[in-house]
Amino acid sequence: MEILRSIYEVAGFIVLIAFGVAALEGYFYYHFKCHDKPWFLPVALAAFPAAAVVAAAAVLGDYQFRLWFYFLAAEALIAAAFRYAIKGRHTVPYLLLAPAFVGLALLLVYPFVFEVYLSFHDLKLTTIMSWKNTGTLPFVGLRQYYDVFTTSPLSEVTFWALLLRTLVWTFTNVFFHVAGGFALALLLNNAIRFKGAYRTLLVVPWAMPQVVAVLAMRGEFHSQNGFVNIVISKLLEVFPFLASLGVAPVQWLSDYPLLTCTIINVWLGIPFMMVVILGGLQSISSSYYDAADIDGASYFQKLRFITMPLIKPVLMPAVTLGTVWTFNNINVIYLVTGQAGGTEQADILVSALYKAAFTYNRYSYSAAFALVVFALLFFISVTYLHGFDAAKEER
Amino acid sequence: MATVQFSGIVKKFGDNVVLNGVDVEIKDHEFVVIVGPSGCGKTTLLRMLAGLEEISGGEIRIDGLRVNELHPSKREIAMVFQDYALYPHMTVEENMSFALRLRKTPKAEIDARVDEAASILQLKSFLRRMPKQLSGGQRQRVAIGRAIVRKPKVFLFDEPLSNLDAKLREEMRVEIAKLYQRLNATILYVTHDQVEAMTLAGRIVIMNKGIVQQVGSPIEVYRKPANLFVAGFIGSPTMNFMHGTLRLEGEHLRFASGDIKLTIPPYLLHDPRKHDGREVTVGVRPDDVLVGRTAEGCSDKVDGVLEVCELLGHRENLYIKVGEQRLLATVEAFFDRSPGSAVTVCFNYKNMHVFDKATEARISE
Amino acid sequence: MHRIKRFFSALRGDASAVLRDPIQRRKFFKYLLIHLVVVTAALVCIYPLLRIFSVSLRPGDKLFSTDLSLIPDNATFVAYASLLKDTMFLRWLWNSLLITLATSFIGVSLASTAAYAFSRFKFPGKKAGLILLLSSQMIPAGMLILPLFLMIMKLKLMNTYLGMIIAYSVSSLPFSIWILKGYYDTIPRSLEEAALVDGTSQVGAFWRIILPLSTPALSIAFLFNFTTAWNEYLVARVVLFSSKQYTWTLGLFELQGQYITQWGMFAAGSMLVTIPVLAVFLYSSKWLISGLTLGSVKG
Repeated sequence: MEILRSIYEVAGFIVLIAFGVAALEGYFYYHFKCHDKPWFLPVALAAFPAAAVVAAAAVLGDYQFRLWFYFLAAEALIAAAFRYAIKGRHTVPYLLLAPAFVGLALLLVYPFVFEVYLSFHDLKLTTIMSWKNTGTLPFVGLRQYYDVFTTSPLSEVTFWALLLRTLVWTFTNVFFHVAGGFALALLLNNAIRFKGAYRTLLVVPWAMPQVVAVLAMRGEFHSQNGFVNIVISKLLEVFPFLASLGVAPVQWLSDYPLLTCTIINVWLGIPFMMVVILGGLQSISSSYYDAADIDGASYFQKLRFITMPLIKPVLMPAVTLGTVWTFNNINVIYLVTGQAGGTEQADILVSALYKAAFTYNRYSYSAAFALVVFALLFFISVTYLHGFDAAKEER
Repeated sequence: MATVQFSGIVKKFGDNVVLNGVDVEIKDHEFVVIVGPSGCGKTTLLRMLAGLEEISGGEIRIDGLRVNELHPSKREIAMVFQDYALYPHMTVEENMSFALRLRKTPKAEIDARVDEAASILQLKSFLRRMPKQLSGGQRQRVAIGRAIVRKPKVFLFDEPLSNLDAKLREEMRVEIAKLYQRLNATILYVTHDQVEAMTLAGRIVIMNKGIVQQVGSPIEVYRKPANLFVAGFIGSPTMNFMHGTLRLEGEHLRFASGDIKLTIPPYLLHDPRKHDGREVTVGVRPDDVLVGRTAEGCSDKVDGVLEVCELLGHRENLYIKVGEQRLLATVEAFFDRSPGSAVTVCFNYKNMHVFDKATEARISE
Repeated sequence: MHRIKRFFSALRGDASAVLRDPIQRRKFFKYLLIHLVVVTAALVCIYPLLRIFSVSLRPGDKLFSTDLSLIPDNATFVAYASLLKDTMFLRWLWNSLLITLATSFIGVSLASTAAYAFSRFKFPGKKAGLILLLSSQMIPAGMLILPLFLMIMKLKLMNTYLGMIIAYSVSSLPFSIWILKGYYDTIPRSLEEAALVDGTSQVGAFWRIILPLSTPALSIAFLFNFTTAWNEYLVARVVLFSSKQYTWTLGLFELQGQYITQWGMFAAGSMLVTIPVLAVFLYSSKWLISGLTLGSVKG
């Protein structure tokens, strides 16, 4: 773990000194407008940082040589950034972006890169102690990736089964989210009484803290005390013939965990789609419908030829986002099945990934797994967005 | 108040040249209107003066001071935007005093100036309102008020009337003219409406495709358009153009274009011999196309067919076809002929314009 | 309302015009159907919440009953009382609130400036930046927990507020930037130009004109940051280990995870954390709609 350790050792150092010096440097260049001069880049890249290193070395005394290397690199990067930022007159946008992107770089990009590093090494329960002591990990090349496709992340279910399950899970959920959201939005888009009140009640599942919502719904699927089974048994008392049709109280959580998760997640996800679609519906000018009425269009024709195409630009990004969120939805599955021992029947890729890392402590394996999942998701979204761009151009 | 000089102004967006060497000088207390079709670069020129657009080449001076690199607020200009750009979260009063507050002007002076501007523009009863609560015309006045309060060196107007309906536009045009008389300021006014240009301007700058076509007083550009573009752009309805060739016949130049044959008098083209065989475009304003009884005394008469009559009230537009050429004549109402009937047409030579066909430049006096 | 009134007057028999006229009748049944469907949906939406409420009111011996009535017999607030008295619930709420407010504040401020840069400027790397933001949404949950954990451990911020705030601060950033960018795009540029001519700098125009005008979008971004951090538990589970520092999510888990699940207290706690969030959410739902649509249409 060379890289990680040394980066943290120099982190404070770089932040305090390199940025300070580079800021001064930048001001200096900017003030004297020498960023257009041909000697700017060599001086900025070599001479100035070197001078700063000498000065800092004089002050701080002996320190690890590696630190200077990182310092120089950071310095050079910053100087180069200054050159392009100032010469291209893009100072303001870069300054505005800097805080957000420094944050993203440290808390998103760096962890991501670290995961990439992990995926080529072998960090697991047996190597973690030696890693802590020596800071080095055995390099295993692509073996983790090979394992992702050939072995099970948990105890039995394979990557391919998980992938198929995830795709089915994503598709079913998004389909019902959109269908349900669309239906409710269409109903609410009528001039009905209590519209505001209905809308308020309908967004409750989305507005509730997800942990509470999922656990509450999970309670409703409890085999004895859950609402679902109570209703089923009460129905059976009233209509005994239903039993012959195979209707009976079911051990939802242990026998049909994925179905239960799906029902819960559909319940959770409809309000978001409804809100987005309702917003879109309200932005469609009523004159289109008037024109269609004059042309003699039926309700479903209007739906097909006016509402659908016009709602598409609103819907597509929401669907993309919804797909990504559902694909990545660990909350529902983890909260419903993951805690007490749990079952593997309901695991999708991301929850298997989480369990592989934190239940089975196969860190490197899960890193490789995560990268594969990321690549998959990236591919799916790009395809989606491509379709979205095409739809945009159609308009 | 101040002078403004544009010298050799160039503006490029990537490879697209929007302005190509604009040289204009605006004198102190002058009302200059820049007019041209959309996309001619007039608004870009104004925005460059305001400092909202980078200058790719050339130099802008206000009162002799080069302002190319100066921040907009340091240029001592005020601008009225096409969409007014009133700050929606501030009241009328706050909108008008915003610039002064930024400059930390004493409160008493801010109040006095806002009060003065509001009374000039009859906005006193609206000072506490939000822009949303105002009508289009009122918003327009607030936008102007915001400029007046600043007491700038130069006022910039960017198509200020284009979002108003026709009637209100006329009223505001008169208001702006009055305001100019009162403030006696240097004003640079951009519009695509040549009527606004003709009625407001002390001098008009006509632009097309990033090049200044002509600079002059309204009457100059109307009477002596420098080229085909100006001739076609200024004046309503549009000037009639006839493409043809000049031939020397004896002492006189004869112009021939299809069925139309005219003798060009020497006071239009001084040296007839020089123009023999030249391809030209002859322009005649609809007012100078004489039809019917008024045409009877002419020497070069042309026979045409009346296609459509448009009665405007006291005037009437006649669309006449002479051979392949269509001519528009504006005559006194009522021209009592039905469409399809034959009419006699001739032209008022005194107001005729001759342009070279290749260079499109004016060659007649 | 008048439709229902007319329906009742029709029932009373004095004017059964509504039901006799075929057009009126169709309309009446159409709206009746719409109301029925929407009411059913609304019931499905709020029923679990009502059930939690009902459980929280149950006396200790009846927690596991198959009773479906919403207000149970012998309803009592004992669970609430013991939750507040016997557990550190208030402390957990306070921890959550502190961490959540701090992260939301940081998140929104970072997003507001970054979105402004994306909305108003052209600069090298703009497209790459937007793609980076978009693709960050595709990082599988749980993937970044281990590196974050190591980072926080190295920084010696385990079990601290600061550690949690750092870990959370950028999680909603990409989404907030997209929402805000979409909103900024709808604000006419001439407003800032007028401000520039009036004498502000570019940053001043942003501060004095754009920010005040973007209050709705800023609220949405804040809400998003708030709910994400408020509901988070995967990272919290790793970073926090003493129950004094727990956020409410971990605290409730603890209640649920003990050898006898404290269902009553659990339900009472759930109610207490849900109601404020629900209130804020519903209060801002109008903005939410406009903000989401704007963001997605323009994004």
